Formats: sequence, C-alpha cells, structure tokens
Amino acid sequence: MSSLVILILIIAGFALLSYFGHSINKTAGNIAVFAAAVLIPLYWFTRVDFSETVSFTISGFQMELGYNMYGKLFSLIVMILSPLALIYALGYMKDSKRTGTFYFSFLFSILGMTGILMSRDFISLFIFWEIMTWSSYLLVIFLGKDVEKTGIRYMVFSALGAYAMFMAIVIIHRNTGSMMLNDYFNAFGNFSTGTKFLTGILLMFGFALKSAVMPVHVWAPGAYSNTPMAYTSVFSGALSKMGVYGLGFVVINLFAHANLHFAGTILAWLGAVTAVLATFSAIFQDDAKKLLAYSSIAQLGYIVTGIGIGTELSIFAGLYLAVLHAAFKGVLFMAAGAVERQAGSTDMTEVTGLIRKMPLTFFASLVAIIALAGVPPLGGFVGKWMLYESLINNGNFLMVIMIFLSSTAAFLYSYKFLFGLFLGQEEPEFENVKEASPLMTIPMLLLSVFLMITGSFPGIVFKYIAEGMTDLGFHDVNWQMSVLTNAWGDSVNLQHVTLSIGVVFVVFLIFLTWKGYKKTYYVSTKDISSSGEVIKPEDNMTYSTDFYKPFERVLHPILKRKIEKYYDEFGEGIGALFDFMRRIYTGNGQTYAFYVIVFLVILLVFSKNIFGY
Amino acid sequence: MEGIGYKILGALLTTLLAFTVGMFYAGFRRKIIARIQNRVGPPVYQNFLDVLKLLSKKTSVNHGIMQHLAPLWLITMSVSTLMFIPVLKDGLFFTNLNFSGDLIFLLYIMVFGPLGMALGAGQTGNPNSAIGVSRGLTQMVGFEIPWIMAIVALMIQYKTTSVTGLLDIQSQNGTWMMFSSPLAFIAALLAMPGMFRYAPFDIVGAPAELASGPISEFGGKYLSTMMTSGSIFAFVKLTLYVDLFMGGASNLIELVIKTFALYMYPVLWGAVSPRFRTEQAVRYFWGWPLFFGFAALIYAAF
Amino acid sequence: MTDPVYFIAIPLLTAFLLPLFGKIYKPLIGIIPGLVFAFTAYISFDLYFNLEPGKPVIVQMAGWAPPWGINLVFGEFSGLIVSLITFLAFLVWVYSYNFKKVGFDNSKKYFTLLMLMVAGSIGVVLTGDIFNMFVFLEITAISSYGLTAFYKGRDSAEAAFKFLLIGSLSSTFILLAILLLYKQTGTLNMAEIAIKSQAIDPKIKSIIAILFFVGFGIEAEMFPLNGWVPDAYSQAPGPVAASFASILAKSGIYALIRVFYTVLDVEGIFNLLLTAGLLTIIFAEFTAMRQTRLRRMLAYSSIGQMGLIMVAFSFNTKAGVFAGLFLMFNHAVIKTLLFLASGFLTYSTKQKKIRDLDGFGKIMPFTSLMFGLGAFAIVGLPPFSGFWGKLNMLTATADSNLYLVIALILVVAVVEIIYYFKVIGRLYFRERHEDVNIQKPTWNAVLAMSILALVIIGVGLYPDFITDYLAKATNELFDKAGYIKHVLPSLSLN
Repeated sequence: MSSLVILILIIAGFALLSYFGHSINKTAGNIAVFAAAVLIPLYWFTRVDFSETVSFTISGFQMELGYNMYGKLFSLIVMILSPLALIYALGYMKDSKRTGTFYFSFLFSILGMTGILMSRDFISLFIFWEIMTWSSYLLVIFLGKDVEKTGIRYMVFSALGAYAMFMAIVIIHRNTGSMMLNDYFNAFGNFSTGTKFLTGILLMFGFALKSAVMPVHVWAPGAYSNTPMAYTSVFSGALSKMGVYGLGFVVINLFAHANLHFAGTILAWLGAVTAVLATFSAIFQDDAKKLLAYSSIAQLGYIVTGIGIGTELSIFAGLYLAVLHAAFKGVLFMAAGAVERQAGSTDMTEVTGLIRKMPLTFFASLVAIIALAGVPPLGGFVGKWMLYESLINNGNFLMVIMIFLSSTAAFLYSYKFLFGLFLGQEEPEFENVKEASPLMTIPMLLLSVFLMITGSFPGIVFKYIAEGMTDLGFHDVNWQMSVLTNAWGDSVNLQHVTLSIGVVFVVFLIFLTWKGYKKTYYVSTKDISSSGEVIKPEDNMTYSTDFYKPFERVLHPILKRKIEKYYDEFGEGIGALFDFMRRIYTGNGQTYAFYVIVFLVILLVFSKNIFGY
Repeated sequence: MEGIGYKILGALLTTLLAFTVGMFYAGFRRKIIARIQNRVGPPVYQNFLDVLKLLSKKTSVNHGIMQHLAPLWLITMSVSTLMFIPVLKDGLFFTNLNFSGDLIFLLYIMVFGPLGMALGAGQTGNPNSAIGVSRGLTQMVGFEIPWIMAIVALMIQYKTTSVTGLLDIQSQNGTWMMFSSPLAFIAALLAMPGMFRYAPFDIVGAPAELASGPISEFGGKYLSTMMTSGSIFAFVKLTLYVDLFMGGASNLIELVIKTFALYMYPVLWGAVSPRFRTEQAVRYFWGWPLFFGFAALIYAAF
Repeated sequence: MTDPVYFIAIPLLTAFLLPLFGKIYKPLIGIIPGLVFAFTAYISFDLYFNLEPGKPVIVQMAGWAPPWGINLVFGEFSGLIVSLITFLAFLVWVYSYNFKKVGFDNSKKYFTLLMLMVAGSIGVVLTGDIFNMFVFLEITAISSYGLTAFYKGRDSAEAAFKFLLIGSLSSTFILLAILLLYKQTGTLNMAEIAIKSQAIDPKIKSIIAILFFVGFGIEAEMFPLNGWVPDAYSQAPGPVAASFASILAKSGIYALIRVFYTVLDVEGIFNLLLTAGLLTIIFAEFTAMRQTRLRRMLAYSSIGQMGLIMVAFSFNTKAGVFAGLFLMFNHAVIKTLLFLASGFLTYSTKQKKIRDLDGFGKIMPFTSLMFGLGAFAIVGLPPFSGFWGKLNMLTATADSNLYLVIALILVVAVVEIIYYFKVIGRLYFRERHEDVNIQKPTWNAVLAMSILALVIIGVGLYPDFITDYLAKATNELFDKAGYIKHVLPSLSLN
C-alpha cells in the first residue's frame, strides 16, 4: 500500500485508539496519544515517499493524492507543531474530562490538514477540508463555553468558506470535466472572464476565510480563545495556514500566471487592513487569550499580504512568516495555556507577576514575543524584513506604511502580554503558583530554540520554502543561509548582526554583573520608591486596567465601529425574515387546504405561460 | 586578520566618540534650558560627573533578572545601532558594519532597547514605571509612522534601502536630500522631537507626574549605564538624520557641526513648550507630520 | 426468480390476518410483521440483484395482458426504490419491535397500519397502471392518517385531520387527472398512455399535468402543499415519522417523476418543478431554523430535503436524476436514523423541546452519537454519505448551468448546519438539567440504528457501493422507449 494512504490510516487509527484508550482509562489513552505524537511524525519523516502518487476513482470522480514540495512545506509545520502540541496537551489536559473526544478531534484535524496538503484534486481537498472543519468545530465548543455564539459562528463562517469552495469546484468541474487541480490551473487561461473571476474569487474567499482575513475574520477571536489552549496552538499555528496554503496556489497559479495581478493586490490590501485593525483590537484586550487571538489574525494579515503581492520575495516572506508564526504563536498559546492552568486565569488585569514562579514559561514567551515583534536578532525579523523590502521594491508604499503601523502597534500588545501575565507586582494571591509540568514547558522551549536559531540561520527554513516555490513555478529562487537580499541588491548579513549584538551584550553583561549582581539582594515588588509612602502588602499597586487608555482615546473613532455588530444585525434581520416565513405554516388545516387550492388555481391560470402551448 | 583588529579598534573609537559627543550635547542642553529659564545651569561637563558618580555607587537591591538585564538591553541596542550606521562617509574607523544592515534593519534594531527597558521597568512593579512604559510605547506608535513614511519615500525615490546607498546618491547628485526630497525631510523633522522625548513629548519620564517613570527603580550602575546609552543613542539618531538628509559627513568637524545644528531644533522647541498629554502627542504626530509623509510618498512615487 | 406480486400481496394479506394471528398467540403480532418485512426485503434484493440489465420483470395480474390487465414492472429504477423501501421498513420494524411508551402499543393496529402503508407504497412504485397507482396511493394515505392519529390525543387527532383534509384534496386531483387522461386516451396503462399522450390536446394535457403535479406534490411534500407534514411528523410515534420520511415521501416523489418522465410528455413541467423545489427548500429550511421542538425541526428539514430531490429531478438530465436518486437514498437512510434517534432522545420530555436535550451526550451516549452522526451526514459533511449526494447534486446543477441555484442550495446548507449543530452543541457541550429521566434505547433499536449508521459510513467512505445501481436506475428512467417495449411488446413508440 502507498505510504500516503498508510499515513492517513495511521492518523485515523491513532484517533480511534486515543478515543477508546481514554474510554478505558486515562493512562492507556495517554500512552496512545504519546505514541501518536512520536510515531506520526516519525513515519512522516522517515517513511513517506514524497514522489509517490495514488490515483483512484470514486463515484466517477478521479482523485489523486501526492505531495508536492509546496504542500510538503506546510506539512512540515503540521508535522512539527502538532506532535509538540499533543505532548503539551498531555500535561494541559491532565485533569480534564472527556479527553477521549478531545484527542479524537485533535488527531482528526491533523488528519484533515495532512490530507489537504497531499490532495491533488478538488474532491479530496474538499473532503479533508471538511474533516478539518468539523473536527476543529468539536474542539471549539469542547469547553462548553459560548456554544451558541462562538461555536455556531465558527461553524457558519467555516461552512460559508467551504461552500464557496464547493461552488467553485463544481463550476470548475463543469468547465473542465475534471477535478484535478492541475487541469484547472492549465485550463484557467481559456476560461471566459466570468468563470475566471467566479471560480478564482470563490476559491479565494474560501481560503481567505480560514486565514481570518477581514471582513470575514469574526469567527476567529472567539474560536481561538474558546478552544483548549493545547489545540489553539495548532489551530492558529497550523490550521489557519491551510488557508494560506490555498491562497498561495490560487494567487500564484491563477492570478500571477494569468496576469490578474490586481486580484492578488486586492487580497494584499485586505491582508494589510486586517493586520492594522486586528492589531488595534489586540491592544485593548484584557484576556491574554483574546489578545493572542487578535494577534494571530494580524499576523495572518502580514502573511496574506505577502502572498497577495505575488512577487518572488513577497511570497517568500509570506511563507517564511507562516512557518515562523506557527512557531511563535504555538509557544504563546501554549504559554497562555500554562498560565491558565497554573494560575487559574489569563485575565491580564488579575494575573500578575508570574515571572519568578514560572521562569521557563516566561523565557519561552519572551523569545516568542521578540520573534513576533520582529526585533533582531531572532527569526521574526527575517520575515518582517523580507516583507518590507518586497513591498518597497514593488512600490506598494501605502501598504508598507500599514504593515509598519501594525507591527509598531504590535509592540504594544506584545509588551502587554508579557507585562500583564509575568511582570508587574507580585500579588500574594499568586504566591503558590508553580511552574508548569515538563510536558508543557519542553515543547515551548523546543520551539523557542527554533526561533533563536532562525534569527541567524533562517536558511534552514529557506531551503524548504525555495523548494516549495520551485514547485509553484518560480525558477532559481535565491537564498542564502544567513544573508537576506532584496531586489535592489541591498542586504542584511544576519551573522554579523547576531555577532555584533552578541558581543556587545556579553561585554556589558560582564561589566554590569561583575561584582554587581551577586551583591545585590532581591526585594519584593512592594518595596519600591513611592515618594515616602509605605506600601503595605495588601495595597494593590498593579497598573493593568485600561493599560493603553490614551491610545484607545486616539483610536476611538476607528474602533467604535465593530464589524461584528453588522453581522449580528444581519443575523437578526435574517432571523426576523425566517420568523416571517415560519408564519406561513399557521398550523391551521383550512389554511393549508386553501394554499393547495390557490396553488392549483395559480397553476391553471398560468398554465399557458408554464407549458407554452 | 588585521582587518578584524582595525574593526574592533574602529568600533571602540566610534563608541567613545558617540559617548563623548552625546554627553556634551546633553550638557549643552541643560545649559541652554537653564539660560532660557534665566538660571545659571550646571557646567557642560556635568553629565560626565553624574555618570561617574553613579558608577561608583554600589547597587544593593534588585527586583529580579529582567530588571538587571534592562539597562544592558538598552546599551546593547545603542552600541549595536551605532555599529550599523556610517558615522563618516568613508574612512577606516567610523564606518563599522554599515554594509551588513539597511534602513529597515536599523528601524527594527532601534526598538530593541526600549522594549527590553520596558520589560525591566515592568518587573520592578512600580506603577509609575508601568504607566511610563504604556505612554512611551503609545508615543512610539505615534512618531514612528511619519518617520517611516519619510524613510520609505526616500527608499522608493532613490531605489535603495541602505544608508550607504543613500549617501552615495547624495554625493553623486551633489545635493542633500533635505533639498531634493523636502517633503520627506519635513515629515522626518516633525517626528524628530518625539524620538528625543524632550518637551513637549517628555511624557514618558514626566518628572513631575511619574517620578521619572520607567527608570524610577534603577540606580547606581544601572542608571549610569542608561545615561551612557542615552547619550550614545542621541548621537546615533542625529547621525542617522545627518546621513539621510544632510549628505553625511566626511570628517568629524563637519559631523559635529551638522549634528549640533540639528540637535538644537528639538532642544529649543522643548525649552519653550509645556508637556502634551499622551493622546495629544499621538494626535499631533498623526496630523501634519502624517500629511507631509503622505505628500512625500506621493512625490516619491510619481 | 420470485414474482414481484408477493411484495404487495404478502404484506396486504398479513395485514388483514394479523388480528387472527393475535388470537392464536399474542407475541405473533410483533413477530409476524418482522418476518413479512424480512421476507419482502429478501425477495426484493434477490430479484433486484438478479435483474438482467435492461430487462425489467413484468407481471400481468389475473392473466390479462396489458393494456387491458394490470401489470407490475420491477425494473432497475422501481426495483431500487422497492428494495430501499422494504429494507427501511424492516429496520423500522426492528426498531419498533418492543418500543414501549405510554399510549403506544405495538399491537395489531400499529403493525397492520404499517404493513398497509408499506404495501401501498410498494404498489405505487411497482404498478404499471395509473389507476392502480391511485388505489395504492390511497391505501398508503389512509394507513398514514391512521398512523398519524396513533396516540389518541387531541394534537394527534388534529394532525391526522389536517393530513386527511389535504390528502383527500390530493386524491381528488389525482383522480380528476386520471379521469381526464382516460377520456383522452381510452386507457389506464401507463405505457400505452405514454404512446398516446402525444396526441392529446396540449391545453388538456397541461391541465392533466397540473392536476398530477399538485396531487403528487402533496404527497411529495412540495411547497406550498406541505402544510400537513410538520404536524403529522411531530405527532406520530417516532418510528412512524421515520417511515413517513423514508417510505411515504418516497412513493410520492416516485409517482411524480414516473408520471412526468415516463407517462406524460409535457414541456415546461420541469421548470415548474425546479421553482417549486427551490421554494420548498427555502421555506422549509428557513422555517426549520426557528423551530424549538426537535421533531418539528426534523420534519421541516425533511421537507427541505424533498425539495432538493425535486430540484435534482427537475434538471431532466441523467446527472440530475442520478443525483436525485442519490439524495433519495441519503434522505431515506439518514432521516430515518435521525427520526429513530430522536424517538429516544425526546422519549421522556413532555414538550419535545430542543433545549430539554442539554447534556444528553453524556447520559445517552449511543443515541446522541447516532443523532450526531445523522446530523453530520445530512448536512453533507464528509466522510459520510450525505456528502456524495450533495456533490453529485451540485455537479449536476453546474452541468445545467444553474449557478444561482448552486449558491442558493449552499446558502440553505449553511442554514441547515446552523440548526443541526445547535442541537449537537446542546447534546454534547451543555450541562444537563436537573431531574431528567431518560429511556435507554432497547437492544433492537440499537441494532436498527447501528445498521443505518454503518450504511451511512460505508457509503460515505466508498460511494461506489451504490453508484452503479443508481446509474442503472437512471438509465432505465430515461429509456422510455425501452419501458414501453417491455410492457407492451406489441406496440412501439412512434
């Protein structure tokens, strides 16, 4: 049997095994999950044959599975992040109920993603897409919070996206007689303009929805923050990338090759707007999970912008950011989960001063935040740099400004996240908080190590991106291990950067620590300069409510209009319409008989128009 | 391998230069403000004395590792940024590593320090520090936008993203960019006081309100390191402006003249201004500076 | 080779003999119907799988050859539907074998009526005589009225009365149509009418078509003729509602398509069917969205599915008919599962409200799982059978260039997802109310639901289990000349 089919079967098998294992007892289930976390990636890395293809025909539709390098790049994200998240989940979900369902859905969503990335035809793509959707839906409502609102909203938007794709697929089938992706790409040039737009835009809509592009992002904040954090890291890190994956091949194969660049540009604009507005929203969240959720949307906005511009460097930047985002947002959601589990809340106005209690979690978050903010010398900078340079080279100056605004404003929420949870006053309430279990910290630390390495040697990621882009039709994609170069020939040598920063850092570290640090002793955060007043232990000296109030005042005109409100109003309007329709079924027998007669009479009266004799 | 020796020597010299010039400028500022306020004011070298005094003091308390790292972070950033800026147009000692970084890189490495400083200030638990950080980051979002607009305008107009490239173009054309791209220069100039955080934009430290804000829990070596870093960074910013808009400098005297002239602008403005509120500051930056930024971009693109 | 006449004769006969068996030994009342359903299911499958391609089995009743005598046609199309009906009837029996509930007594009355309904439906599908079809439809309808009023309550009686009222209108129209048809052609044999109908005055033909359309449309739950449906489905016992969805509605839609594909040859009826189908979908699904009672929600959803089937058949293309048959299969299997599961879910709740079901996933894991599976399948999520039906349906729509219809179907599918997932959300992710008492499903109900679930998953994973049969049935439906040739070897379509 083909290794691809075996891979799918292994994942499905582990899903069932974890489910039934957990219905026997926790240990058995956890062993199954652990085995899945180890064996699935092991199989993928060692046994899967990437040149293999499997063809079969079901219900008259030809289907084909097989990797290309572009799919492999995204699979890499899935296959590295998901096992780490699974292991993290072993710690995170230790005391939860119904863990069987959790791991079952978790593994099924991995199956969905794996399947999407190896689909070469629309039917299997759609099937796996839907599997991914419903399994993630089960996880979104897993905790039973906001089932009605968040859950349904997620499902409705997912369904809208999926069905947009579905519509595109059947129209494509009608025009090409085939379900293969490649047939579509090849035939695209010969389509009529209407079909081109219809299929292209519908596909783009479906994929953009999964990557939470405004204005169809509204499902994301709730869904990301309601899901158990162990899954959210995958949800935001890998699952949303499926949208990016799709956008990539739509934009490149269709728009770039068929000279419909402006469609890509529109997408890029949407991405930029998303980045800005989502960042602004993230800044004012008090719940760390919500903050990270909005931040995810913003980050996906950068990625979408990169993809949408469609030049070599911009797509390179988009894909690189996609990989990086998976890593740092994975860490951050895991960290938020660790805080939630250890301290009982992620409300940044309550939780405070955990740095000394959870140093490892803090360290991982710090690294991830630096990468997120794009500050050198960590990996995030590389992606930001390439994105800016590609936009500047391309002359999209307004977009540069928007992206820059967004990433500057991102410092605000980055800082808020770290300050809110880990820094600030150490309150007695959180005196007894302990560091999370190694099952949770090790995955975070591993990912942070990755983020640090990519700061100097992003080439380890570039390699796969370049391969993937070659499959998308770019020739001779240039990359170097540590030197970034833009289209105008300007470059940054990351090793010099790291070296220079490192040397200066170490020199001053020695200078400052020499005889200094050891002689100082720790004093509590209540022992601070306070203009002569003595602060008692019970005094609340934490400044965390309305942290960015002045900025909020500045942005008030922009933020007061919430797109969610419009959707809700639309929903209510539709609901009223439905109610009106419902009235037709009065429950009165005579009325129904009357309908029948009226219907008959109408038909008879208009029979000439109907039958045209 | 003798190249490396020169490099290290050059780096040390540059740092020393930056430190000295920055310190004297700060001294001049104090003097000037004192004179405007009809005081005598401290001697010009007062800042040197302050730093030395602080260095000799023993630090005996801390609030944790982040506080310890914060000044370090700050000075690392200042010195590293300096390393990637061509202080003089050419020459052996003052160009350092400028070929391995470009403007976008500079913009990003310049926020590395404030962010680390903010983390350290956060750990001290002093509410004044937290408020200061909140204000500082907000203000940063304000002034960075016109500033980046000015820079992007230059980059698009001259099709290069490196400082060296822009310098070369200025010497080739024989004009300074403040004349060839006046709109960008105005936008950058309007954003400049925010970067220096002098009045009316001294909302972060805000002596009378926040008890000097983020730095309120730092003393001794920490504070001296911060002051050192601050003076180096002031020099870095001035040099960058000179490189971008005033054709750079080919010798130290030219450099000092240009930077000092430029420096007088935020200082004099600050000397006669009261303090903005945070949102007023942001609104200021997103008003006229933004307009000129846009104008510069449009001018550059078409 | 068995005689198709058994399908009708045996259930009919047993239905009337059931009281007698009851007199002999009481449990026989429960067992005998099972044996009968099992037997009919067996022989129909036997016959169906042994059918020679393109050669339907024709039976002439009482020795009169058509067009004078009544004949039964067991072809690839009707055979498929009959097999489906008998199979589901058997499962409904398995489920209701020892279904106990206050006011529900699976005595002779229940099984007699059920068997009558099944026999009638099979008759409708098999017969080759239009008047005979009417008679069987009446048998089906009358037994359904009885089943609707099974719980002797006020609501049931009201529902049954509404059903009766509308149903009698349906009978009247059909009878009128048949009268007109007979007057014009002088025959009641469908094959012969098919030949002669070309000569009918188009005005009269259109009136006949409309009468048939409305008459059968009532049985097929077409908007706005489906006022009886929600009441009947929600007031009848759980297994009865299941059989309404899987058997009654199927015979209605069968009659509709048989008449318009084979017997009458009228242009324009398909556009009408398309419009009516779309209206049915829209109104039914949007109304379902606002329902607070589970059974009514399912009833409206059922109407919506029937609308979808009508739309599929209205394309008048092979792809459309194929998709329509696939949808019929799905609807029969999945909706039956949903109704069967809902029978136990709402067992001990008075109001049968959806909000009474909070947290049932924990206390009724199997039934909830079955309901969830059915819900996933019916909204068309892979890897369940509903997906393939929807896929074929949409490709057929696209092939007919009806892009707007695709959009509409998909929008409605979103609505469908909303209301089904609301129920799932309540079942699994809500804390349950205090003081709920529940009824565990009996072993035979578990069996019946498991079989349906296996069919759903099996077809979902590998739809080619059934696609061949559906394709053959499609071909047969389009082979009008072949149908006539086989029924009336002496005549031919000129």
